[in-house]
Amino acid sequence: MIGRTPRWIVPIVGLIAMIWIVPIIGLLVTSIRPISEIILGWWSIQEFTLTLDAWILVWDKYPLAYAFWISCKIAIISTIIPMLLAPAAAYAFHFLKFRFRRLILILIINAFVLPNQVVIIPLFRLWRDLGMIDNIWSVIIPFAGLSFAWAVFLVKNYLEDFPYELIEAAQVDACGPLARFFYIVLPNSLTPIAAVGILQFMWTWNGLLLPVVFLRDELPLPALLARIQGVYDRNWDQVAVAAIITTIVPLMVFIIFQRFFTAGAQTKSGSKE
Amino acid sequence: MATLQLDKLKKCYGEVEVIENLELSIEEGSFTVFVGPSGCGKSTLLRMIAGLEEITAGELRIDGARVNDATPVERGVSMVFQNYALYPHMSVEKNIAFGLKMLGLPKDDIKRRVRAAAETLQIEPLLKRRPSQLSGGQRQRVAIGRAIVREPKLFLFDEPLSNLDAELRVTMRVELAKLHRQIGATMIYVTHDQTEALTLADKIVVLRDGKIEQAGTPMELYLDPANAFVAGFIGSPQMNFIPVTATGIDGGIRLKGSEMGNLDVVPVGQGWSKDMTLNLGVRPEHLQVGSDFPVKFDIAVDVVENLGGTRYVYGGTAGGHQVIAETRADAIPRPGDHLTVGFDPERARFFDQQGVRLRNALPS
Repeated sequence: MIGRTPRWIVPIVGLIAMIWIVPIIGLLVTSIRPISEIILGWWSIQEFTLTLDAWILVWDKYPLAYAFWISCKIAIISTIIPMLLAPAAAYAFHFLKFRFRRLILILIINAFVLPNQVVIIPLFRLWRDLGMIDNIWSVIIPFAGLSFAWAVFLVKNYLEDFPYELIEAAQVDACGPLARFFYIVLPNSLTPIAAVGILQFMWTWNGLLLPVVFLRDELPLPALLARIQGVYDRNWDQVAVAAIITTIVPLMVFIIFQRFFTAGAQTKSGSKE
Repeated sequence: MATLQLDKLKKCYGEVEVIENLELSIEEGSFTVFVGPSGCGKSTLLRMIAGLEEITAGELRIDGARVNDATPVERGVSMVFQNYALYPHMSVEKNIAFGLKMLGLPKDDIKRRVRAAAETLQIEPLLKRRPSQLSGGQRQRVAIGRAIVREPKLFLFDEPLSNLDAELRVTMRVELAKLHRQIGATMIYVTHDQTEALTLADKIVVLRDGKIEQAGTPMELYLDPANAFVAGFIGSPQMNFIPVTATGIDGGIRLKGSEMGNLDVVPVGQGWSKDMTLNLGVRPEHLQVGSDFPVKFDIAVDVVENLGGTRYVYGGTAGGHQVIAETRADAIPRPGDHLTVGFDPERARFFDQQGVRLRNALPS
């Protein structure tokens, strides 16, 4: 039959998928076997015992639930800020005319090349002087700020294909620049906004460096994970538990919202293609 | 309804002048069509009238008031775009109501007017649908609905039919003409399709390179073109141009082409001179197959286009010029045939080498 998938595709794709999933299985198995067995390798089956000791231990010993709550706060707030502001900035840069537009855009996009590490020391001194160490805003502000470069860039790129006639039609329909943004551009830019949201959420959820440096007790999950891991401890089972708890949220987010990655530009002016 | 005056209107993009000192006045309730080849500035001109494009110099007046710096709403215009520009995230009803909502009209009022517009355009069953669920013709209607619901002084259409298929284009053309009669508003329509211009317009404005070549009623442009460009642009198939040379005779000028007999004319107005070379223009529908015409010549048939009721014969003259002639006879000429074609001298128009019209009378 024409257009039918060849039979050999399925086993090959299955095999590749298996290779990808092995580390996750390893993590899971590590978390439910005693440390004495894991030392021989999580795949070893000379002895095979299942136990939830590590889960219970980690839950009792470390403030996992609290870290989870902190992670949620940091990730959600630092995701919402660029989701609201990046489309507005992209709209202004793309559709409005004002002085120094190009220069300001270049300055913002320039932050692209600015890695987190560069801002740590000056920011640390600033937060210390302001008494903001161990305050989650000391992490949220740079997380949101540093995201603008790529978020504005991403949304602006999407707007390149935005039908300009819609903007003009809105202009004829009595819309000023703000109304055009809120009524026309924003509802038709959900795809890039969702993409910004998902990427930013994953990155801020997994962010380690800034929280480790700026926070002390208000630790989010990855920072706590680093603390559990320690330096000399042989507690791989506990680390596995913490890692599973840390990854589960971004994994869910990705699974639920993945269609926004595959969905292309869906803004059509209703013209005949 | 509105009158419109363009007074020395000018548009420049940097150094490039796309509209040059344009003078035009448009009467209340008229249907004016801007027509011209791509890049002639017709869409730019429409957008300047709409308020979507800044006016570099000159003055635009609607009902006598200067509106150069007014917004589209203050000008009281509404516009139908080439790609319809329907808001994809709104239902048809919301698309039509959007402009009214932005103007802050009461809800009942909006509802009533949307209903009325939908009724006029027969799109009531579509009101709850999204633009993506509509066909090309339905989208076009919705776009027109969005324009009429505002009850503007001036309607602007930017090539609204060019995305439709041929059959639908004809239907929508008729409906637009009806709509104009029904609501009687002033309408300006941009197209590159001269058939649309001829069928819809009260007044056609032919533009080239940002300048008006001629403005007048369709028949004026068809019968009495101001220059070779307008003569060639209006009418389909295009007017035939045959080079002829002039020699002076008693009381007039004798024109002689390499392929045809003599044609005597009486010059009227400027531009004529003895021993000049000029172009004789005759429309295909006036260049008939047959030998009972005062001016006639032979052609060798290349291609025959059969349109059912009429046939266009594409052929080469002895002088090597391509011409198109019409025949209504049932016998279809075949490529390679030799035919005699001719025309009535009254149908001939003359243009000098620069394309300027040379007016003439015929010797009595």
